[in-house]
Amino acid sequence: MTFPNDPGRPASAYDAPDGVDLDRVWTTVATEVWRRHPGRLERTAIRLLRSPGLARALITTPSLLLPWLISTVVVFGAGALISLGPGQPVVWLVAPAVAAVGIAFAYGPAVDPAWELSSSCAVSQRMVLLTRAVAVFALNAALGLLASAASGAVAALTFGWLLPMTAVSALALAAAVVARSAVVGAAAGVAAWVITVLAGQTASGQLTASATNAHAYPPYLAVAACCAAVIIYAVRPERGLQ
Amino acid sequence: MLTGIHRSFGKNKAVDGVSIELGSGVFGLLGPNGAGKTSLLRMLATVLPPSSGEIRLLERDPRGPAARREIRRRLGYLPQNLGYYPSFTVVEFIEYFALLKEMPSAQVPKAVALAVERVDLGAKAKAKLRTLSGGMLRRVGIAQAIVNNPDLLLLDEPTAGLDPEQRVQFRALLRSLGETATVIVSTHLVEDVGAACSEVALMSAGKIVFRGTPDELTARGAGHGVGDAPLERGYSAVLSAARS
Repeated sequence: MTFPNDPGRPASAYDAPDGVDLDRVWTTVATEVWRRHPGRLERTAIRLLRSPGLARALITTPSLLLPWLISTVVVFGAGALISLGPGQPVVWLVAPAVAAVGIAFAYGPAVDPAWELSSSCAVSQRMVLLTRAVAVFALNAALGLLASAASGAVAALTFGWLLPMTAVSALALAAAVVARSAVVGAAAGVAAWVITVLAGQTASGQLTASATNAHAYPPYLAVAACCAAVIIYAVRPERGLQ
Repeated sequence: MLTGIHRSFGKNKAVDGVSIELGSGVFGLLGPNGAGKTSLLRMLATVLPPSSGEIRLLERDPRGPAARREIRRRLGYLPQNLGYYPSFTVVEFIEYFALLKEMPSAQVPKAVALAVERVDLGAKAKAKLRTLSGGMLRRVGIAQAIVNNPDLLLLDEPTAGLDPEQRVQFRALLRSLGETATVIVSTHLVEDVGAACSEVALMSAGKIVFRGTPDELTARGAGHGVGDAPLERGYSAVLSAARS
C-alpha cells in the first residue's frame, strides 16, 4: 500500500495501531468498494442455470459487440430465409442450423478474443455457447416484440421465428443444465424443433408432397450437410482435448 | 508430469518427445522463438491436445471430463496473446474468469480484490479494459490467472510489456506464488529466469536440451557463448551446442 506524501505530519501518524493489519483492512475495503452486485435477472439466471459463470456469460453476451452484431445479423438473415420460403420444411429445418452456425462462429475462436482463456476454464465452452444462443435469441425476440407494434412484417418474424427459436434454445439449455451435457441439450433442441416442424407440415398435409418431390432432394441434402456440420462442430473435441 | 509428449502441426513438429516431472516452485521455460514453449504450455493448460504421449496434471488425466474440470478449477493460465473484452472493467474481467473457473461465488469478491492488489492495479480497478495500456492489460491477465489461487500456474511471456519496476515486482510475486504452487513461466527473457526461477529448462526445436538450476545454466557459459550477462552466455552456449 502507498500513502500520500504529507511532509507536514510526522511519519508515525501513518503507522497503524498495534495489531492492525492495514493490508487486510484495505483488502476488506476494496472488496466492498469493487464488489459487483448482480441484478435480479442475473440472480434468477444463477438459480436456473446452477452456475454463476453461465449466468454471467448470459448477461454479458450482448456486451461483446462484434460477436453480438454478427450473430444478430445471421439470426435475422435466417429469419428472412424463412419468410422467403414459407411452408417449405427444408427452409424451416435449415434456418436454425444456419443461425446455430452463425452464433457458434461469432462467439467461437475466430471472433471471441478471450476464447483460449475461456477454453482453459472449468465451465464448458459448449455450455457457454448454448447460453449465448439463448441470450441472442431472447434479446432479439424482445426487440422484435417492441418493433411488432410498428410493423406487421416484424411481427411475423418475431412470432414465427424469434420467439419459437428462443423457446427451442431455452429448452436446449435447460436440458443441458439438467443432463450436465451440452451435447444432450443440443440434441434435445434439435429434436424439439424437428418434431414441431414435421408435426405442423403433417397437419397441413404438406409433408407427403414435400417428401415425394424430387426437386426438393438437393435442398434436403444441403440441410443434412448443414446439420452434420453443426453436429460435428458441437461434438468435436474441445480444443486441447481428445 | 509429461511423458513422451509430441505435438505436430502438419509436418512441423512443435514439441518433440518432451518428458518432465515438476513439483512446487517456479520453473522457467526458456528458448528462442518457435522452440515449442507456447505449444507445451497450451498442452499443459488443456487447450491443445498432444499428438501423442501422456499428460498427468495435479495427479489427474485431463482426458477424462471430470478430471479435466477439476484440473481447470485449480489452474491459472496466462496465454501469450491475451484476448480481452474492451467493455469490461478490470474487476469485471477478473471476476468473470473467476466464475468460469467455478470458484465459490462467496469467495469471488475478496479473491478479485486480492488479485487486483497483487498486480498493483487498484487505481484502475473500475477502468474499462479498452482504456488501459499494454502493460496494464498484461497485469490484468496475470490477475485473472492467480485469482483462484491456483495449484498449477502457467504464464506465457508474462513480463512482455511490463516496465523494469513492474518486472521486479512481478518476480517477487512469482517467488511468493512458487512457495505453494507449481509455477511454469515461459519466456525468452533470460534475466527473468535468473531472478525468479528455482529451476529452468531450455527448449530448442521442440526438445528440452537443458534442465537444471539457473546457476548450472550459467556455468555452461563459462569461457564460451555470447551474451552480456553470465546467464545469457550459458543460454547461448547450450543453444549452440544443441544446434551443432
